[in-house]
Amino acid sequence: MGPGDLQRIISRLPEDTSPELLSSIHNGEDAGVFLLQEGLALVQTVDFFPPIVDDPYTFGQIAAANAMSDIYAMGAKPLTALNIVAFPCAIGTDVLENILLGGHSKVREAGAFMVGGHTIEDEEPKYGLAVTGVVNPSEMKTISGARRGDFLVLTKAIGTGVLTTALKGGLVTGEQISEAVQSMCLLNREAAEVFARHAVSACTDVTGFGLIGHLYEMARASSAGAEVWAAEVPLFQKTLEMASMGMIPEGESRNREYVRDSEAVADGIDEILIGCLYDPQTSGGLLAAVPPDALDPVLKELKSGPCPRASAVGVVTGEAPGTIRIKSKGV
Amino acid sequence: MDIDIDARGLKCPEPVMKAREALSGGGGTFSIMVDNEAARDNVTRFADTSGCKVEVESSDVGFMLRITPPLEAGETARSTVADAVARISTVVFIGGDEIGRGERELGTTLMKAFLYSCTESEDMPAAVVLMNTGVRLATENDEAISHLKKLEELGTEVVACGTCLDYYGLKEQLKVGRVSNMFEIQSILSSADRLVSL
Repeated sequence: MGPGDLQRIISRLPEDTSPELLSSIHNGEDAGVFLLQEGLALVQTVDFFPPIVDDPYTFGQIAAANAMSDIYAMGAKPLTALNIVAFPCAIGTDVLENILLGGHSKVREAGAFMVGGHTIEDEEPKYGLAVTGVVNPSEMKTISGARRGDFLVLTKAIGTGVLTTALKGGLVTGEQISEAVQSMCLLNREAAEVFARHAVSACTDVTGFGLIGHLYEMARASSAGAEVWAAEVPLFQKTLEMASMGMIPEGESRNREYVRDSEAVADGIDEILIGCLYDPQTSGGLLAAVPPDALDPVLKELKSGPCPRASAVGVVTGEAPGTIRIKSKGV
Repeated sequence: MDIDIDARGLKCPEPVMKAREALSGGGGTFSIMVDNEAARDNVTRFADTSGCKVEVESSDVGFMLRITPPLEAGETARSTVADAVARISTVVFIGGDEIGRGERELGTTLMKAFLYSCTESEDMPAAVVLMNTGVRLATENDEAISHLKKLEELGTEVVACGTCLDYYGLKEQLKVGRVSNMFEIQSILSSADRLVSL
């Protein structure tokens, strides 16, 4: 099921409105937000998926970093987390223990608490977390605030979908994709702190819809267009090579289908590179719309700190809402 | 035609792994059936990258891909080219941007002169493979780029190692030839009748 299908289904769900409800299930926000009192809102999100790396502890870390990412994308702070586990009887319990230990280590690193969870039996293991956080609504980051002229800053490189597919296919070793694995384990906390200091206009995290899919959602919610500079998008080592070997996951074509009618690609851009721009990410970076005068300090703080591969990958335009133009480079 | 591999119902990357297995098995042309566009595109990308010829036929039960390995595809192409092209395939392997060990200036001059000589030669190489700093010849060195372009016009295939381009941060600067990978390069080198290594 792709983003298009999901959107159709969600659009048919009845929408609840209330003065306390600061988010809507219909606008593609990263997490649900509920106002508790003046200056304090509850932020909730959930995410889980099957293993994408061989090592259980690392998988646990990635799943937890990924689940908490939605909280950071909203400029919020995670408080508590619940484990969600599906696990087959046939696999040793030490594997599950290591997955949970990995998850726990990231929750603790985030300064949050693991407070419980639920486990069911299933043929294929799956793991993730439901995370609860808090935010001051006046400091909350949404996907709807991007303004024409803002630069689009991406904090992590792209390619986790391609590389984990190649790992599954045996074309790369865990060692060869260690850059991507480390990146997936990295919390988006510090990047979110940089964006909070510089009051960025909008923020989201890049996950299943790929860079362009999430940018498309941001552009539509902000009633703006966007230009992407393909050559400026950081890719993990071996991503292009593996994509050219046919290791692009199925989600890529669904993501592309979702954006197809709004997308225009400049001549001469490698088709394989475009595929990577739609590659579904796990625990991807944050994508923020950064006002021009804040661009230099934001990039400097990200690069010298937690995100050495951070890059300005495009700009918000005044074109029709959701229009995405892919060019090679900015002017 | 008959289906050699039925990859319907398989999830990515399995259809590609099936195609890869068939290709490395050394048999000739084979067909593979897939049932979704993502698998069709991925198997096509893999086959293209591996230097194969791909024909796609769509039907209501899926997509049939007919894949012809590089050697056969090359021979078919070659037999249609006039006699000017030698029957024996020469592959030139360039593992650096200079010839020999000594003063760099001399080494790079010699390399440019060699490439120029290739363009004038009657025995055109079937392929030029660029690895390690050899990829600079197709990205940064204007004179070498123009000789390589000339070779390409004359029917030589110019391939540059993707890992090397990545390593030197030159992927976006490739001015001539196409990006390849070790799997294909290994197959080009081992299928050469005559290998010239610099």
